[in-house]
Amino acid sequence: MSADWLTRSNVVIVAGKGGVGSSTVAAAHALAAARQGVDVLFIAVDGRPGMGSLLGGREITDRTQMLQRNVASRGSGTIAARTIPAEQAFGDYLELKGVGGILRRAASAASLPMIAAATPGLEHLLVLGKIKELELDRAADLIIVDAPPAGHAAPFLRSASGLSDVVKSGPILDQAREVSEMLADSARCMALLVALPEETPITEAIELAGELGDEIGLALLPLVVNACWPDREGLAKTPAMAARSHKMKLSAEAKSALESAAAFGRSRLEQQRYQIERLRGERPEPVITLPRLTTPKIGPAELSALADALVEADPS
Amino acid sequence: MTSLSRAVTDAKLLLTCGPGGVGKTTIAAALGVAAARAGRKTVVVTVDPARRLADALGLGKETATDEPHRVDRVTDRSEGGELWALMLDAEQTFDRLVRDQSPSKKQADAVLNNPVYQAISGSLSGAQEYMAIERLHQLHTSGEWDLIIVDTPPSRHAIDLLEAPDRLVGFLGHPVYRALTVGQRAFARVTDAAASMFLWAVKRLAGPQIVEDTVNFFRSLANIEGGLRKRAKEVSALLRDKDTCFVVVSSPRAEAVGEARHLLDALRAKNFPFGGLVVNLIHPLPEALTAEDAALLADLDDGPLAEQVAWHSELTTLATAERAELVSLEALAGDAPIVELPLLDHDIHDVPGLIDLSARLA
Repeated sequence: MSADWLTRSNVVIVAGKGGVGSSTVAAAHALAAARQGVDVLFIAVDGRPGMGSLLGGREITDRTQMLQRNVASRGSGTIAARTIPAEQAFGDYLELKGVGGILRRAASAASLPMIAAATPGLEHLLVLGKIKELELDRAADLIIVDAPPAGHAAPFLRSASGLSDVVKSGPILDQAREVSEMLADSARCMALLVALPEETPITEAIELAGELGDEIGLALLPLVVNACWPDREGLAKTPAMAARSHKMKLSAEAKSALESAAAFGRSRLEQQRYQIERLRGERPEPVITLPRLTTPKIGPAELSALADALVEADPS
Repeated sequence: MTSLSRAVTDAKLLLTCGPGGVGKTTIAAALGVAAARAGRKTVVVTVDPARRLADALGLGKETATDEPHRVDRVTDRSEGGELWALMLDAEQTFDRLVRDQSPSKKQADAVLNNPVYQAISGSLSGAQEYMAIERLHQLHTSGEWDLIIVDTPPSRHAIDLLEAPDRLVGFLGHPVYRALTVGQRAFARVTDAAASMFLWAVKRLAGPQIVEDTVNFFRSLANIEGGLRKRAKEVSALLRDKDTCFVVVSSPRAEAVGEARHLLDALRAKNFPFGGLVVNLIHPLPEALTAEDAALLADLDDGPLAEQVAWHSELTTLATAERAELVSLEALAGDAPIVELPLLDHDIHDVPGLIDLSARLA
């Protein structure tokens, strides 16, 4: 099975509404790509604690750190990671533009909130600008961006086009143009959207796909439906009927215990099938499902299982 | 205690807060239903409701305005309470704040017509959080409501909301802001080094037009600064009032629990009145198999019964692990009421569904 969609573009922006597990899927994508022998840079825009150890290394900081080497085989496949704080992106940007010491001091971290207040969307744009620089420098074969969660992914990605409404000239406008170019070029950048097989998350994923794909012009990778229960046809039967096909007879307690789980499972699976079909009906992109893990906490073992599932997934 | 009925019948302000994706908006609406059915005139302020819930509250795209809107069929006539809902519009709320605080219409217009103001009023980071609180204050001072419920914006750091008034004061106290707004010096004669460097930086980066707009914006804001500061102080006090109540909503997922735990710590550290914890979306714990049955069912050949047993085991593992996650969170809630709600088969998106949920909450 080929999973070359994992490494189709230089940058993959992973986004989803809060609570759908998009950071975990981003980390699984990084691991799956590194297993194919690719050098991956994982960028946690929000720098959530715990992501570094999940990826087999230390806590992620604002400097690129190697988390894992030889992921694929000896000498091939690495995962490095970093965050991009807005103040740092700003400083780097000024340096890049050859802006001298006085201006850099003037525009230091203390003034950034003021400058940002005067230039809405600037912080987002600076972070995207830094990602664009890393992409142009080919800092890694593949850059995975864990985008801000909750309602913030679309404003984050829209910052480049939004800024040009207020900023009419100057290097910031150039920066916005260059970021827009990267976002619109599917060889350079694509988005991976994550949802859950439930009504509201699917509705929101359809909306987000519309905003990012149709409005911002980002090319979309297959849509990921995370945390899907495995389809178990045997649940459709009552425990007593199921036992009969094994030529067994169940105690009353066993029937009751199994039915207490099966009743919930039937309705969940029905809801899951219906929501995935709805997503397929509303969006042209292929859909991938990832399994629900039976633990509320994701560790390296669970991440490895999700990475396997991404590779084995058949986008359809 | 396992009911939020006291919060619903006694509080005057109730804020639901917590991580994203845990059903906070639905809980806020159901608490509103509970209060209305307890005879109180209640308004629910929501930020970003899922579309079908918005429709149930009469907040569909066409009808949504910044003004409260009566929700029908929530109460029987005998109960005497009312439920109203409104969708927060950060820009309109900001506009209203500027108008209320401006000494004259002319000064208000100077702010409202400034391109920089127009660009930031909806999008400034933190503006939405601050405006949710500001709208709460506007509704509170109107004196029309027995209970105001605010569904706080989804936020990675939900605590941002609570600090929004202080951040505004911090902005107004920033040396660059002060230098630009002291007196009525012309831009060219701004002598403060930090401020002139700031302006130079903005000019170099974003062009001369935005510099002029920015200076004008800051200066026009200076006219209403006193009012803004006073308001921030009032809001800050209101959030800590004895009749205010924060309800934290979480799910049993480890990430959500981590965020909710931070939030509970922060509420306590900053003296915000905590009124209860709602844990939503909990998987049901199936009945246990007896040891005898479990042994009998341990090594089945593939088939429907094997699938049933595997499913029973997976669901039991997940549900048990979720309950373990919750122990630490519930310990942090102390004596406050805790309500646990199961993961439902379908989302709630009509008034009867909210009425059912309200009975579980209070």
